[in-house]
Amino acid sequence: MKTIALIGQPNCGKSTLFNQIAGYKSLSANFPGATVEYTKGQTYINDELVEVVDLPGTYSLSWYDDAEKETVKALFSMDIDVIVNIIDASSLIRSIELTIELMSLSKPMVVALNMMDEAARKGIYIDIKKLENILGVKVVPIVAKKGKGVASLLKETMNAKPPLKRCVYSRGVEKYITKVSECISDNNVKTQWPTKLLAIKAIEGFKPCEEIVEATQPCRQALKEAKFALKEGLVIVQERHALCMDIFEAVARVKKPKKKNTEGVLDQYLLHPVFGYFFMFLIFFVIFYVVFNGGVPVENFIISIFDKIDGFIEQSLLQHKLLLAITKGVVDGVGAAFGIAFPYLLPFLFLISLLEDVGYLPRIGFLMDSLMHKMGIHGTSVIPFVSGYGCSVPAVMAVRILKGKKEKFISAFLASMVPCSARTTVIMGLVGYFLGYGYAILLYGFNIAVIFVSGVILKRLLPGINPEMIIDIPPYRLPTTKTLLLKTWHKVKDFVFLAVPMLIGGSVVLTLINYYHLDGYINQFFKPFLEGVLGLPAAVGVVLIFGILKKELTLLMLYQALGLSTLAAIPKVLTPHQMLTFTVFVMFYVPCLATIAAIKKEVGTKSALIITALSFFIASFLAFLVRFI
Amino acid sequence: MRLSDGEVGKSYMIKSIEGGCMAKDRLLKLGLIPGSIITLKRKAPLRGPLMVEINGNDVVVGRGISVKIIIEELA
Repeated sequence: MKTIALIGQPNCGKSTLFNQIAGYKSLSANFPGATVEYTKGQTYINDELVEVVDLPGTYSLSWYDDAEKETVKALFSMDIDVIVNIIDASSLIRSIELTIELMSLSKPMVVALNMMDEAARKGIYIDIKKLENILGVKVVPIVAKKGKGVASLLKETMNAKPPLKRCVYSRGVEKYITKVSECISDNNVKTQWPTKLLAIKAIEGFKPCEEIVEATQPCRQALKEAKFALKEGLVIVQERHALCMDIFEAVARVKKPKKKNTEGVLDQYLLHPVFGYFFMFLIFFVIFYVVFNGGVPVENFIISIFDKIDGFIEQSLLQHKLLLAITKGVVDGVGAAFGIAFPYLLPFLFLISLLEDVGYLPRIGFLMDSLMHKMGIHGTSVIPFVSGYGCSVPAVMAVRILKGKKEKFISAFLASMVPCSARTTVIMGLVGYFLGYGYAILLYGFNIAVIFVSGVILKRLLPGINPEMIIDIPPYRLPTTKTLLLKTWHKVKDFVFLAVPMLIGGSVVLTLINYYHLDGYINQFFKPFLEGVLGLPAAVGVVLIFGILKKELTLLMLYQALGLSTLAAIPKVLTPHQMLTFTVFVMFYVPCLATIAAIKKEVGTKSALIITALSFFIASFLAFLVRFI
Repeated sequence: MRLSDGEVGKSYMIKSIEGGCMAKDRLLKLGLIPGSIITLKRKAPLRGPLMVEINGNDVVVGRGISVKIIIEELA
């Protein structure tokens, strides 16, 4: 089976094209040993089954973040038969730099010139034949969003040939590149890179390539000379850029665009130093309002269905107590997962995907960067944070849009500390109800302060660079419903596969604890910690364990565990101080199972364990402090 | 002068980029190359990032990086 790889710069419409080709049956997969994802699918071209791989966007073959690194590694290690290079026709000059690099791989290649409609709107008209002649590669104009030209692109893909030409620099520059590349081949340097490309990247100062070349003594000298002569590679970059400009000037005619610039007008409001923040809050408010007000009835409906199933199971398995307990555990686990996924996650992810595809998310990054920077993260991390007030799972999953490892870890950690709606139930139901809402608001403020301080500490402690923002702001675009739905579906599918096993497992364990009456032992086990350190009654031990499954349970089970008949009787057993201690502990301790699963997926098992352990430690420490205040 | 000192709405030519190779590499890829002309479109409040236009594309760079981009005002 032939493998076709889609490669292009970020925001060039790669995924839209992929969805047009193989959207419905696609799978997302992780690169081996990395959390970065790519999507693959299959389709028929001329009655032949082919595999299509959608690699993460990259600006060039030297990487800046994890996603780009995996793309480049995949290009070298995967068995790719044809490269489909997608170019954004509306920003041809910049996009063509990647094409020039890809051409040096000498693999069969086709260029898909996407967004021809947008280019026309900008007043750019491209002579396809001329571009084809200059590049020596087949160029197919497409509008991926509307599926225009996709059929002929696929047809060309099957007949793709390696590029006829390659990029040649000026004689003075070529002389040094050849010197280094000849040295590489003379000394049999082991590498997956084509030698000339390796030489260019090393001269440009791209570390991994530099290291390969410098490992050989004579090449180190040649590289040093080349770098000195070519101003650390800047001359190559400038020549390549000039070449792109020349190509653009040769193939494109630019006329004055007909329509007026709506983008500038939108940006005037959305990026305004004052109104920009107002609109941002408004947009998030609307999203949360829609998701959480719309979600509650749907969740109740789903829960009522699962309650009926529960009732039915209870009746039919009355004789087999153990089997009943396990089956109930499984059903409750599935119910918990669906109770989160459909009412909250699906609409939330849909709306966030909409913001992303419209082009608003990077703009939020612009607005929020200066505050977030103090915590070692980018402006874009505001999404995981704000989402956290709804549910920690989508919040952690939103970390995916971030680039660096450190940034992802910090954001996932901090996002999991934001009190989700379930923890809000505890804060409001216990502290707000019994101690007054002033205390509840105080707790929220305390939470924000702790998150901020944790961020500042993590920024200093963790190795790795603190991200400085360099992002490309895409123009506003109207996404298609199909792309949005597919994107949302992929994310929800991920969650369902991730959370359902965790929740079922956890739920079964808990029903078994109940069945074998192990609560007493658990409480006994946690007694030294709960009574000794936190000053809480030992009976809350089992409550906190259940809280890992679903945080709302901590409040519901509290009065049962304390042997009370109603929630209102809690003040008889817990002092206000104990309530506060308990709530602070619940607010910060280990996120629920589904969240842990999401963290594991986004930042890896080790980080998930660290975050779980650290949050437990922070919760204990803070609750201990509160005890003595 | 440095990009961070630039005035919103004005166009400048990039003279040179100082500092780390990682960030420099990304800037070069986005078209912020010595010799190219950029327009400073806006500055985020509270010492936030800057938005510049280059070849018709908008690029946002953090304040820390903008200090390392040396520019020259166009006559």
